[in-house]
Formats: sequence, C-alpha cells, structure tokens
Amino acid sequence: MPTLTIDNQTITVSEGKTILEAAEALGIMVPHFCYHKELGAVGACRMCAVTVHSGQMPGLKMACLVPVEEGMVVTTGDEASATFRDRVGEWLMLNHPHDCPVCDEGGECQLQEMTISSGHGIRRYQGDKGTYTNQDLGPFIAQEMNRCIQCYRCARTYKDYCGGRDFGVMGSRNRVFFGRFKDGMLESDFSGNLVDVCPTGVFTDRTFRFKSRSWDLEQADSVCPHCGVGCATIPGGRLRELQRVCSGDNPQVNATFICDRGRFGSGYVSHPERPRQARHNDQVISIDDALIELDAQIGAAVQQHGPEAVLLLGSDRASLETNWLLQSAAKHFGCRVPVLNAHARRHQTAQMAAFDFSASLASLEDIRNSDLTLVFGVDPLAEAPILALALRQMVRKQGRVLLYDPRPVELPCDFDHQAYSPAALQELLEDGGVEGRHLRDLLAQAERPVIVAGADLLGPRGLQLLQGWTTGAANAERPCRFYPVLAGANSFGTALLSLPEQDDLLTRLEGGKVKMLVCVENDPLLEAPLGERFAAALTRLDSLVVVDYLPTSLGAHANLFVPSCPPFEDDGTFINNEGRLRRYRRVLKPGLTLAHTDQGGHPPREFSLATPGSEPMPTALLLQRLIGQKPDMNALHRQMVEQQPRLEPLLKLKPGDPGVRVGSAVARPQNIDKLPEQPAGTFQMVVSAARYGSDLLSRFAEKLAPRLTPTRLGLHPDDLVERGLKDGAPAVVETDFGSFKLTVASRPGMAAGCALVENSGDCPQLIPGAELSYCHISPGGADE
Amino acid sequence: MSQTPQLLFKNRKPGQTVFLKDFTANGGYEGLRTAVGTMTPAAIRELVKAAALRGRGGAGFPTGVKWGFFPADKPGPKYLVCNCDEMEPGTYKDGVLLQADPHQLIEGMIISAFALQTQVGYIFIRYAYEKQAENLRRAITEATQAGYLGKNILGSGFDFELHVHGSAGRYILGEETALLNGLEGIRPNPRLKPPFPAMRGLFGQPTTVNNVETLANIPHIVTGGAQWFKDLALTVDGSGTKLFGLSGHLNCTECFELPVGISLREVIETYGQGIWKNKQFKACLPGGASTPYLTREHMDVPLDFAPLEQVGSRFGTAGVTAFDEDTCMVAATLNLISFFARESCGWCTPCRDGLTMVRWLLETLESGRGTHEHLEMLKDQLTNISGKSFCALAEGAMGPLAGLLNHFEQEIVDHIDRGHCPFSK
Amino acid sequence: MTAIESQTTSHLLDQNTLAEFIRHAGEIEHPREMIIDVLRAIQLHHGWVPDEGVELTASVLGLTPVEVEEIATFYDKIFRRPVGRFVIHLCDSICCWTRGAEEIALHLKKVLGIAFGQTTEDGLFTLLPSCCLGCCGIAPAVMIRQEFYGPLTPEKVDELIAALRKEASA
Repeated sequence: MPTLTIDNQTITVSEGKTILEAAEALGIMVPHFCYHKELGAVGACRMCAVTVHSGQMPGLKMACLVPVEEGMVVTTGDEASATFRDRVGEWLMLNHPHDCPVCDEGGECQLQEMTISSGHGIRRYQGDKGTYTNQDLGPFIAQEMNRCIQCYRCARTYKDYCGGRDFGVMGSRNRVFFGRFKDGMLESDFSGNLVDVCPTGVFTDRTFRFKSRSWDLEQADSVCPHCGVGCATIPGGRLRELQRVCSGDNPQVNATFICDRGRFGSGYVSHPERPRQARHNDQVISIDDALIELDAQIGAAVQQHGPEAVLLLGSDRASLETNWLLQSAAKHFGCRVPVLNAHARRHQTAQMAAFDFSASLASLEDIRNSDLTLVFGVDPLAEAPILALALRQMVRKQGRVLLYDPRPVELPCDFDHQAYSPAALQELLEDGGVEGRHLRDLLAQAERPVIVAGADLLGPRGLQLLQGWTTGAANAERPCRFYPVLAGANSFGTALLSLPEQDDLLTRLEGGKVKMLVCVENDPLLEAPLGERFAAALTRLDSLVVVDYLPTSLGAHANLFVPSCPPFEDDGTFINNEGRLRRYRRVLKPGLTLAHTDQGGHPPREFSLATPGSEPMPTALLLQRLIGQKPDMNALHRQMVEQQPRLEPLLKLKPGDPGVRVGSAVARPQNIDKLPEQPAGTFQMVVSAARYGSDLLSRFAEKLAPRLTPTRLGLHPDDLVERGLKDGAPAVVETDFGSFKLTVASRPGMAAGCALVENSGDCPQLIPGAELSYCHISPGGADE
Repeated sequence: MSQTPQLLFKNRKPGQTVFLKDFTANGGYEGLRTAVGTMTPAAIRELVKAAALRGRGGAGFPTGVKWGFFPADKPGPKYLVCNCDEMEPGTYKDGVLLQADPHQLIEGMIISAFALQTQVGYIFIRYAYEKQAENLRRAITEATQAGYLGKNILGSGFDFELHVHGSAGRYILGEETALLNGLEGIRPNPRLKPPFPAMRGLFGQPTTVNNVETLANIPHIVTGGAQWFKDLALTVDGSGTKLFGLSGHLNCTECFELPVGISLREVIETYGQGIWKNKQFKACLPGGASTPYLTREHMDVPLDFAPLEQVGSRFGTAGVTAFDEDTCMVAATLNLISFFARESCGWCTPCRDGLTMVRWLLETLESGRGTHEHLEMLKDQLTNISGKSFCALAEGAMGPLAGLLNHFEQEIVDHIDRGHCPFSK
Repeated sequence: MTAIESQTTSHLLDQNTLAEFIRHAGEIEHPREMIIDVLRAIQLHHGWVPDEGVELTASVLGLTPVEVEEIATFYDKIFRRPVGRFVIHLCDSICCWTRGAEEIALHLKKVLGIAFGQTTEDGLFTLLPSCCLGCCGIAPAVMIRQEFYGPLTPEKVDELIAALRKEASA
C-alpha cells in the first residue's frame, strides 16, 4: 500500500491505483475526458497532466496512466501542468462549436466544466473549424458530431464494454467520426449509455431533446423497476413529466451502465390512459371516499364470511413497504395472510433464492470478476440485460461462460451455448451424466465460480437441484456463488416477506371462499399463467378491488379502483436478485403533464387549486391511511426489522447507496418433484420473455415501440422439416393455455423438440415461468 | 571519398533486382547456414548485442537489447515482424534495398526468427512499395523451394513461415504498435505501452518488430562477427554501415551505403556532389522529416546517433534532405508540419489538434500576417507538445519546429517585420 | 458457390479471387488481418470501394460493415468515393517540395482543369495530394497505379498525361 503526497496532502492507496484515482480519493479533481472509471485509462485526451517531482522519471505525466509509488510527490496546480492542461483545453476547443445555448448537454457538460477548470478562456486559433454531417441513429440517440472532442469514450463504451458491433470510429487525423456504417437505429440493447458517457453534446437522449435544462430537472437516486437486477438509475422529471432516465452508479450491480429498456421504458408514468381517479363502480369518487368504502367493504366481508373471504394480493413490482403493509392490513382486518405474487411458480422459485441460497448469492460484480460462470436457463438480454454486460466483462478478462438453454441465446461476448430442452436441462441438473460431471469438475477447478440460474425456466425444481451443485463446488478456500434471475424488481423481497405455508392465488380463488379480492399493483390476468382460470374465478367474486398506476383492463373492470403511484413518485425499497436492499427516492409528485393538459403549451389555460391529475397516492401511504398508521417511514422500517430481522440493513439504507444484502436464512429441506410425462408428438413449450415488451411496465412505454418485434413461433429447422412447416408460414399451437395462430420462425440456434414463443403482448396468455408443459403444432389454417 | 565495404548494397546493380541464383552465388544464405548450423539462438542474440547494432528505422534502439526483452524461450506462438512501412519524408533506403536485393532481408529475418525462436514472420510493407512487395513474394517462394524457409530449415529442425502484408498508405503504421494493429486489421492507433510488444504484441503474443535495414544487417554480423561490424563505423561508439538516402537541393539524390560516423560535409559534398545550381548549403534534415535541422555550423559533425544528439538533432533514418540558401525555413517547416498533421492518427489531442494549431500558426507567419504574439504562441506550442503526446508522431513533428526556432528564429521575425515571406519571388 | 458469390458481387471482385479470399479466410485464425487485402482487391477490380464493397468484405471476413469501414476510412489509398481511371498521387512532402512539386501541382491542375480531390469530366484523371511516396531521389514525383514517375517537369507531365490519354483511347 504505497503512500504518496499530492498537493501537500498525503494518502495511502492500494497497489496498482493511478495518480488520478489517488487524487480523486483525496478530493482533488484532476480534469480528464478519456478516463472513465469503468472504461479505464487510454491516455488519449492528455487532459489529466500532473507533475511528478520524485522517482527516476520526474516531470509532466498523465495522471490516469501512472501507477502510484511509495513516496511519490505530485502537484496538480504547478505551472507546467496547469499550462499544459490549458493548452489541451484550447486544442479540444479548436473545432468545438460555441453552441452551448442550444445544446442539450449545457449545464451538465463535462467539456464546459473541464474547459473552465483547465483555464482556457480566450480563443486564439483563427483557422477553419471542421464540420460533419450527422447520422440518423434512430429514435433514442441524437448525434451532433460537430461537438465531438474525440475522447473515444463512445466507441469504448458501445464496442468494448457493451459489445455492440454496428458503431465505430471512422476517418482519422482531425477528421475522426463516431457513428454507424449507414443511418439507422443503433442495434445494441445498451445504446443509451452513449448519452451518459459522452462528455459533451455529441450523443444526447433524443427522447429528451429540447425538453429541459439539466438544472431544471427534479432528479433523485432510484432503482430501475424493469427487472430483478435492480440497476441504479437517476430519473429526471419536470413539468410533471418523467423526461429521462440516466444510469446511476452501483459498483456491485450495474456499475455505471443501464439497458435501453430501463432507460427508455418509463412511458407508463405519464401514459395518457394512466388512471388518476378513484372509482366506485361507474362513479368517480375521492380517494378518501374510496378508502372509506374499502375499509367498509373489507370489514363487512370478514364479518359476514370470515377471514377467508377477503384476499389481499401483493406484487413483485410493488415496494417492500407496500407488501409489508399489505400483511399488516390483513392482520388489521383479521383476514388470512395475503398472497404477494399471483404467479405461484415464480413466487416459489423466488423463495428458493431468498431462503435456500441466501448464504451464497453473487453480485454482478462477482460475475464480472468470475473466471467461470455456468448459466442455466437464462436468456440474459431478455431477462436481465445488465447480466449480459457482466458476463461480457468477465469474458474480456479471460473468464469463460458456459450457457445451457433451449433458446437461441445471443450474448455480446464469446460463450459456449448448448441448446438443451427444458426437460433435458432438468436431467442435466439432476444427474447430468458425463456432461454434468464435466461441469462439476470445471466448477471445482475454477477460482471464482458462479452459477447463474433462470427462475422462469428452471422453476423451483431446477433451483433445488442446483443447491447441490453450489454447495458441492464450494470449498474451504472459496465459495461457489449463485445468481438467480428472477422476474420482478422486488421478486426477492416479496418472497422474503412471504410465509411458507401460504397457498397460491388460484387455489384460494377457486376454493370458493374468497368473496373479495384486493389486487395491489398486480394484474393476475397479465402477470400469471392460466389467465382463463383466473378470469373465471374473478367472475365469482362479490367485489374486485384494484389499486394500480397502470391502465390494465383488470383495473377497468374493478368494482372499486384506487389509483396509486409508480416508484418514481414514491419512496420505497426493492430487494434485487442477489438479495440486495436498495432504496429509491421520489422524483416527481403525481400530476398530468403539460402535454396532456394543454397539448404542450404553456402556461395552462385552466386554473385550479390542485394540480391536475395529482390525486394518485403512493400505495404504501394509502395502506397506512387505511389501517390508521402514521405515514412515518422510519417507524415503519423499525417495525419491519423487529419482526423480520433479515431486513436489518433497512435502518441505515439511503437512496443512492450501493445497497446492503439482507441477512441470510437457513436453507429448507427439499422435496424434488417428478417432471410431467411428455405426450407423443408434442413439443416442449418454451415461453420466454422478449427483450422488449414482456415486462408489464415496458408494455405501456411507447418510446420502446421501435424495438418491439411481433411474436413468432420459433422452431428448430429440423422440426420444421419433420412437421412440414415453413419459415414465415402460419401454424396453430395448441397449449394448456389456449390455442394460438402464430407465424413460424426457423431458429437454428435453439433446442430441437421445443416450441419457442416470446411473450410480448401479442399472446398475453402465454406468460413465462409456468410449469413445463407440452403443445401440439400443426400448419396454419387455409386462410393464409 | 571513403572506401566503404558494401554489405547491404553488395549485390546492387542499377535497375536490377537480384534473386536467388545470383544472391547465393555471392555468398547469400551463408549467414543462415552458419547460424542454424553452428550457433544457438542465445549465441546469435549475444552476437547482435556485441555488434552494437542500433535500429535503423529511426529510433536507434539497440537491437540486441530489444531482443534481450523478448521471451525467446517461452513456448507458444511468437512473431517476428519486419517494419517496411517506410513513409517518413526523405526516407527511401528500405525501398532501394528491397528493389535491389530482397533475399538479404529474408535471410536476415530467418536468422532473427531462429535467434528469437519465432515460428511466423510478417513483412509489413507500405502501399507504394508494390514492386518491392512483388520482389519479396517471389523471393519467399524461391527461398521456400530451396529449403531456407518452411519446415525444418536446412535440416535444423527449425520451422519458420513468412508472409508479406500490404498496407494502404498511412505514416502512423511505421509506429510499431500501430503497425501491429494494422496487421491485425484493427484501427492502427498506437497501443498503450506497457505492455510492450515483446510481452503482448501481434494477436496478443510476444512479438519483435524490426526495420528492414536492421534485419538485413544480421547475416553480415553472423558471417563477419561483432568486432568487424563495429569497426565498420568511423566513430568509436558507432557500429556498421548505414544507408543514406539523399534528397533535396543536392546535385546527386541517390542512396549510398556509407560508414556510420561519416561527416555531414562528406555526405553533402562528396556523395551529394554539392548543392544544386551552384548555391550554398543552408540546412538539412539529417535523418528524415522528424529530425531537427542541421546548419552550416554542423558540417563536420559525424553522422551517428550520439554526436547528432549532442548537437540537438537525431540520426533518425539517415535520409538527408538538404536545403539551399534560398529556402524559406518557415515554409519548409510548414510543409513538414502539414505532413505530420495530416498523418496524425487522430488518437491524442496534442497531435490531432495541437499540430493543427501549429500548422495554422506557421501558415499565418509564412503568409506575412503573423505577429510577435504568434511567434510566442509557436514557442509555447513547442514546449507543450514536446514529450507530451501519446506516441512519437507529434514528438517527431516537433523536431523540425525545434530546429526552426533554435536556428532560424530571425527568419520568422523577418516575416513578421516585412509582412511577407522574404524568400517569395 | 457460397451465398456471397453472386451476380451482385461480380462487378466488385473477380469471382475466382473472391473464392480464394473465402477459402483463405476459412483457413486462418484471424481473418480480420485480410481486410486491407480484400479492400485493395476490390479497388483494383472496381476502381474504388463502394458501400457494397465494404459489405462484401465484411461478409467474407465475418465482420460487420462498420468494422470494415473503420479500416477503409483510415487509410488514404482506399477510395470510398468514385475516382477516375488514373489516380494521380502527387507527392507534396518535403523532398518533392524542395524540387518544385508546387509548380508541378499548378501545372497538373491547369492541364487537367481540376483541383485536388477532383476528377476530370471524362472520368480519366483524379488528382490527389499524397504524403511522401518514397521517391525522394527522383523528386518531384507522382504515383499512378503504383508506378512512379519522376523527376517531373511541366513538359514531362504533359508527355505523361498524353501517354495516359492515348492508352485510354486505345
């Protein structure tokens, strides 16, 4: 651990750190462009010059490149380095247009900051400036190449870090261009990161263009609600509109990158049909009246029909606090314990993760540093996009990824893919034969092994089997870590809160005793399989109550509807796939955007005391009012920790923190079921998440529309031949969930004997994560 | 005129290329026989170190020392790469050598590959040298058929395959790590060092990159011995002969093989046959476009690495470009800076944008619109670019600028005071 | 015949050469090292490298078009825009400059009626400035079809242009 002196301050840092990092640790900001803590140092911009006064080679050095040495003496403000940085600032500004007044980056532009901090103020160069013709890079990213200062961060992010192959560096000398071969939408699922990494206004968020100045935005540390990874985000809003989402920084989770689904998928917050008023049957009522009505209805139902009559349903997209308060409400009203996830199998699997693996969970940082990761039953880009980036980083560090999945999985890195059908995958995990033994040997030999498991595809059975793998591969020197891929932002949290003996939703509904169902941020018709049976069960209810912020059809059919708020309008906590508690803070108060009240005009022509559309209330607050609890978050957390000691970190957690793991639990005894037998002539159903449009939130995000793809029936080419089916022709699929007519797509990379359907809203009945089932396929009807 | 033993040019005949038959008839591949037949790889490396051969590509790094960093005994793929991207203005000696005698390079590469235990070699050759590339391809075929290349060379058990790799015209490829990127088919920006190519070079494997002339010297060192080679030079510390490519305002602009340490006067007056049109010598670039100017006061400086560094210049590639008394050194420097600015790869700021700034300053001064403020800015640019760029390209560009400011500042002042170029007709 | 070989590529590259590239790319560990070879071959055949040439190179080598474009646009001697039948690379570096390259440039511009970077209307000549060609001993010099001509005088330029025109009309 060398100790060095920078600007007369002494610091001890770990071996291998650079002067720049040491200076940062001291709070000394050395101006820089090309250095980025995740992308590393490349020494291109030369802005971070400092003077080293000691050692064998004293003189002006690039702080990002020079490792610290014992006894090193460095100055950052001496004349030589300050003058040089001033010159670098001048050189970088040779071609930069003075268009700050109309540039979207203005106010959060690193070039503005660094130019000022480097001391360059007066233009001396009177020669010609270079100009470029911009490209159309699609609906997400706007390009303004004239502003480019050639720091190469964009290419390093898009190509090197994210593995995109349709973006590059063209030209040379002082005519370097960063873009695509031809105009067109950037193909990478991580394209939005260009906006965050560009230090000036070359790449800006096209969906945010000309909407706000950064200093006018209301911003807060948040957690992405789109999947179970739980990336750190910084959403920004203004004029009651959520205008953009930037990546936050969580070294344990997403580092400083997020996926496009998370970045551009927030349209549901200001969806034009978002329900904002409470409704009792066909009557609009106030929220207060709705709560009075709800209180009365629950009370009456319990009194009349007993504790079974009222069923409260929580959600894996609702906060930990909301789900907890739902349990409190059940106690308050004397009804049976709530069900926290309508999707029973997903819930069971999440419970496996939350209880039985809790001692060996891996963070994404563990995966980035792993030398061997086995991935079973996951399509990372569809189910947990940032996991795909973590796998890429480990491969870049010579790590190896072996992936077993029936789907034609793509990853932005080299990996070995074995297309196993779901049943074959279960067999591999159960016994595995030669291949299984080989994999266990590899795990045993690896230095930092990780197993990644897809909850949807493997189910509780697969995870139970993997417990043996994880414990078997661990030894005294090192653990074998485990990363479960769960479906919802708070799947882990709802699983952790649930009581083990709880029946699933459908069983209880079909049991006939339930008279009243209160769905809190959950639509079982869209978020759980067997929707038809749900629909039938719902018709037998006396009352259906829905609390939600999404314009679901279930909400439209509710007897009592209460509007709530999405995470951006609420404070709360999620627990991500690896059991990490993460707090998010409210960005905006609810309200109709100006776009909705006055077609974007300003100021609005109607005046009222209350903000239009501001009625919705965060669910946790609604529930606290319902049960007469004070809206005190700290008190609530103390209460939660008292009863659930695993949540202890909640008390110290702050938004923007990397988050803390929940306490571990004792693994439970296992009971491994048999797989259902496959009827002759059938295919194994593989219902998968699509990259876009599978999670309910992004289905209501219109910005993502350009990325949606129509649902097709994916089959292995051999199966096409055998069944006389043709690529692009219609086929009829008869499943346990209904019969569907879909266009056939030949998918060479997938497992034979499987029928792949990517769920993206075209077939809302087909929900990923169901028990293994089989289907019949026949060529489509004569009408096509 | 000194009688220089001709090593590299011993087979050279005007307008002709020597191929295998004539090459072997004049002692060709004897060095290879000696090397693989009687010497160990380590002994060859020691010999080259003892011969004090310094790289002929411009930087002058001792070849034996460079080879000493190479993990020759490490198993696995390793590469030997010949840098024939000769693109520095005023430098054309490798082109002449390969036009005359391609086998000499090939023999040198095989011996070097044996010394370094590399199995695969590449000759990276610039676009304009298509004739030379054709010569090399033919020579490789001949050598392979004769058993000098390929498997089990001369029964030694040593295998070596050699490929010619073309380019498409950029000076930066002469920088060895940019060259490796170019060879791999990725953008030829120089690489961050460390790791040095000896550790992680071509395709991530240990690689040594040497210049054509450097490698062509190896067979002669093997046959003649280290002391003989050192004694070829006229300076005590020097070693060997050097190909001097003459150009500019000389009566004779040809390429000569001359002893290291020959005086500038002898090169200019004897070999260059004096300045053209009966004019006076004003200045020269002693070793290519990146070397600071020498002037009349330097006529008796021995042309070798150390003496030239002592007078603030560099030996470089020994491409001597002379300027007559009527040359505007501001304009000459502007031409040189324009070359470097245009050849910048665009990676680092001082080179990409700094050279643009310098070019603009020189244009302003040369046109007579310049002021003393511009002169001060020019000096300031020299201070702030020198030693601060990512690779040696911008550093090289500062050579002539430093020469201009050191020796010809008054000429700049004359431009400013008169409001026009004093040399313009 | 692979999918790459087709009528749509025959104007870009001789089909035997293409087949040879495909074969070679399949044999070597790093096909990417062939980018310049393929681009140069396309240019030799087609005169310059159009977008389809970049795409063809990419498909032969298993790359994306932009990965080829990154290289194609770096080098000076790969033309991504149409050029004339004879591309005249006039050296403007120091040695040629000392011996009258600027005068030759003026003369060429006058004779051809074009500026640097332009092509004559008859499509015969494109005039480009070039960095040092390695012809410092025969300065001032030009390179046409990888052949050097120098030392040039305005008279010799006229002869050279006349000879090339004659060749073109033959």
